[in-house]
Amino acid sequence: MNRNMRLLAGLALIPFVVTACGGGSGDSESGGAAKGTVNYWLWDANQQPVYEKCATDFHAKNPAITVKVTQKGWDDYWSGITTGMVSGTAPDVFTDHLAKFPDYMNKKQILPLDEFIEKDKIDTTIYEDGLAELWVGNDGKRYGLPKDWDTIALFYNKKLTDAAGLTPEQMGALAWNPTDGGTYEKAIAHLTVDKNGKRGDEAGFDKTKVKTYGLWMEGSGTGPGQTQWSMYTATTDWQFTDKNPWGTKYNYADPKFVETIKWWKGLADKGYMPSFKAQKGAQWSDQLAAGNVAMATNGSWMIGAVFGTKGITPAVAPTPIGPNGKRASMFNGLSDSIYAGTKNKTAAWEWVKYLASPACQDVVADAAVVFPAIKTSVPIAEAKFKEKNIDVSAFTVHLKDKTTFLFPITDHGADVEAIMQPAMDAAMTGTVDAAALVAANNQVNALFAQ
Amino acid sequence: MTNLAEAPAQAAAAPPTHRADAGAPRISVGRVLAWVVLILFILITLFPFYWMLRTALSNNRTLFAHSSSWLPVDFTWGAFKRVLGLSSFAEAQAEGGSGGSIQFWLYLRNSIIVSTAITVGQVFFSALAAYAFARLRWPGRDKVFFLFLCALMVPPIFTMLPNFVLVKDLGLLNTFPGIVAPYFFMTPFAVFFLRQFFLGVNREIEEAAMLDGAGHLTLFFRIILPLSSAPITTLGILTFINAWNEYFWPSLVGQEENVRVLTVALSIFKSQTPQGTPDWAGLMAGTLVAAVPVILLFLAFGRRIVNSIQFSGIK
Amino acid sequence: MAVEASPPLHRASMRGGRREAGVALLFLSPALLGFLVFFLWPTLRGFYLSLTEYSLLQPPEFIGLGNYQELVKDPQFWNSLKVTLEYVFINIGLQTTLALGLAVLLHRLTASTLLRGVVLLPYLIANVVVALLWYWMADYNLGVLNQVLGWLHISPIAFFGDSNLAIPTIAFVNVWRHLGYTALLIFAGLQTIPKDVYEAASMDGATEWQTFRRITMPLLRPVLFLVLMLTVIGSWQIFDTVAVTTRGGPVNATRVIQYYIYDRAFTRYDFGYASALSVVLFFILAGVAFAQFRLMRADESDLG
Repeated sequence: MNRNMRLLAGLALIPFVVTACGGGSGDSESGGAAKGTVNYWLWDANQQPVYEKCATDFHAKNPAITVKVTQKGWDDYWSGITTGMVSGTAPDVFTDHLAKFPDYMNKKQILPLDEFIEKDKIDTTIYEDGLAELWVGNDGKRYGLPKDWDTIALFYNKKLTDAAGLTPEQMGALAWNPTDGGTYEKAIAHLTVDKNGKRGDEAGFDKTKVKTYGLWMEGSGTGPGQTQWSMYTATTDWQFTDKNPWGTKYNYADPKFVETIKWWKGLADKGYMPSFKAQKGAQWSDQLAAGNVAMATNGSWMIGAVFGTKGITPAVAPTPIGPNGKRASMFNGLSDSIYAGTKNKTAAWEWVKYLASPACQDVVADAAVVFPAIKTSVPIAEAKFKEKNIDVSAFTVHLKDKTTFLFPITDHGADVEAIMQPAMDAAMTGTVDAAALVAANNQVNALFAQ
Repeated sequence: MTNLAEAPAQAAAAPPTHRADAGAPRISVGRVLAWVVLILFILITLFPFYWMLRTALSNNRTLFAHSSSWLPVDFTWGAFKRVLGLSSFAEAQAEGGSGGSIQFWLYLRNSIIVSTAITVGQVFFSALAAYAFARLRWPGRDKVFFLFLCALMVPPIFTMLPNFVLVKDLGLLNTFPGIVAPYFFMTPFAVFFLRQFFLGVNREIEEAAMLDGAGHLTLFFRIILPLSSAPITTLGILTFINAWNEYFWPSLVGQEENVRVLTVALSIFKSQTPQGTPDWAGLMAGTLVAAVPVILLFLAFGRRIVNSIQFSGIK
Repeated sequence: MAVEASPPLHRASMRGGRREAGVALLFLSPALLGFLVFFLWPTLRGFYLSLTEYSLLQPPEFIGLGNYQELVKDPQFWNSLKVTLEYVFINIGLQTTLALGLAVLLHRLTASTLLRGVVLLPYLIANVVVALLWYWMADYNLGVLNQVLGWLHISPIAFFGDSNLAIPTIAFVNVWRHLGYTALLIFAGLQTIPKDVYEAASMDGATEWQTFRRITMPLLRPVLFLVLMLTVIGSWQIFDTVAVTTRGGPVNATRVIQYYIYDRAFTRYDFGYASALSVVLFFILAGVAFAQFRLMRADESDLG
């Protein structure tokens, strides 16, 4: 038995990654005409029918290529992609996310598209400004073509704002500052109601027995604070990193950042927003539906869920105007990337090209689930939302006014997140401790010093 | 506490006819108290099931507007229709449900195939191994057994990736053998469990049979297996339940529809987007429907398991 | 009872040892195949990978004991160990006590198969669904549990959101799912205790509590050992419930070791380090199991 054990131990030394290395090597069939099957993955079940329609249309135009659309929920999706990459079986084309793409790029798991783009003369200026550049790596190469975008706005329950005497016009003109919170905080306080019916700005308000919160907190926001605090911090002219994309120094220690978080946490201390422990559980949209909260900042991808809810009157206002006199919203988007290990590069590219073309994005726009990336497709989506009686101007205003900023794209994304999640959670559970944020920031920046 | 001990367990089965024991009335205080505690246990066990049923019969769109309602909110069979693949995308969306297409009967068939294969293979091969550990004498037996036990402690993260690569290299991705393979030959639990029982089987019968010239195969099939039918049934049911609920592995290996199992198909009702909310009604309806076959199985064999597990073998 | 004298050596054992080895190999071969391919091989591979820097998507690079040196200094690792230990103690303590109570109640009160079946129901529901369901029922603002507490004039409790309560809550959720299963195992053990022992005790005027302490507990010990053996190791592997509810938070209050391993391996692509964590976990579990095994042996003369 001892000998066998040694033999087995020897075998164990042969890593199994041999298959995974196939990705970068030469592609024998890249010269031939595109044909065969392309496996395509996405995670949003609501969008699956739309992309299946795109796939059918695509097949009609390119009968030699069949696209197989597979949907997997968020968590399974990424573990599936990773396992697939390790074993060389990842889908040929998949929906990519900004938080994941730098890792895949650095590890050479996705293909640069420049050659194809050049060959087929793709115009990357047809997309909303800045979207295409999100997918350019720090090596200057392009790793995806944009498919959609999202911005942040203030969802609210119109029944509750009506009862509080706040008009939609007022809701659309709220202003915020980190010192006293401005008209924004006044509205939040007024919308907060305790069990005895006292409003947050009335004498005798009991902050320990809140029935309806003015504003919802959806977790601490961890590193990017996309739907939690980034629309405030950006109006103080605070930036995540020294440059974006591909910054190498984070600014979580900046007093402007700390001040904003202190104000935000203050809302919870005053009882206008649930405390960190009270918000843990059901989703904010469910809390909105249950009448437990009047307003919540969140992204355009939630339009469908919120406006589909019965029993409340949903409405949307733009995010508040900040100290710099402007609004701000993170501008984020998804793209389609090609797996480096695909056995069918040319067909995969044909499909990516089609996904990023008006032919498919108009179909996406028509479904009015998300905003398509192509400028000329956006009005179609707007019109479709209007048909459903949903005013989406609170989301599009940021594009018109150019008040968007980008998701911080850097290396070490997952490690930054692993440091900032507990740090921000701690800030929101206890007190916002400037020193602790400085320490976390140092830890984050140390990642880039290596 | 009074002496409950005077009322043997069987008395409860026939309450009207007290046994001749004296003191039946005296017992009542402690007994009532004990019953109250037991009923409390049962209630805590059952309440979440009621909540699942109530949610499954609700409309997602209005569910949270009436989150404090103890009755189904805006009663509908919609969630069950979604689970059984009977509703269109538009209908599903109208009730706030997930719109994935579900070929329920196909996935049910796949689940039955996978779970049955795993159960039969695992129980049979583990029983063979357990026999070797419990009844045969060979050098290094206890060491090998401990090694087997160690497999219980292997973190799943170790096994998942290599097994996936192996299954892929064998060309078994998206096949039933691929899904079944890692569970087919043994699990440490099954071997451990059965070994405990085999140890307890009376050796005299065995030795008598041996004197009659029976070999180990005959002993195993004619004596050990029949005598251990209760624990084997128990293990079979437990294995089946676990196989039935297995999710992560089949979701990796069995993507294709022709081998996709129910748990993987029903995961469409879990939240699909990073901050999304599940299709609660669909998830609960799916869970209840998926539990039905196991409950049927339990009804068929339950009495057998519950009444006849004999731990005489624990040593 | 269970304690039976060690079986006498087979008459043929001197010569039979060798012959039985062949038969044993025959009986063992299918299980051995599964064991070698699906358990031993990946484990050995994992041991090797723990000595490498391996990002999953690039070939591993041998770095000796580097991961282990980092591990010793990693506060997250020590925290995860502490949190997991806390979970195991609460989970096992609660589960064993309640299961014992439930088993004794079932044994002494009723012969109803239906009731015994009912207690097993939660086990039929997948882990993840059980976790989601309780996460929702225990919600601070709209959960039914806090609604009931409200009727009793108790202010709402943040079961999952309070760092002090999150681990006990998760432990409770898993107790709910496994209670019936554990109780039935114990119940099976209770059935092996001969009825006349109880009858004799009641003749002697023993109270129910005395009967429990002097008769039930000692005679049940082997079964309890078996149950503990199986549940303790499973308890250390807690992952699903955390993954779908608290995801390690609030702050780090529920970052149990399996979750930390998963996070390092699949979110941060640090598979080498995750393997080192797994190796440490493996040895801890092996140690725990070995200790239990020894205790069981000490208690029972002829185990294996």
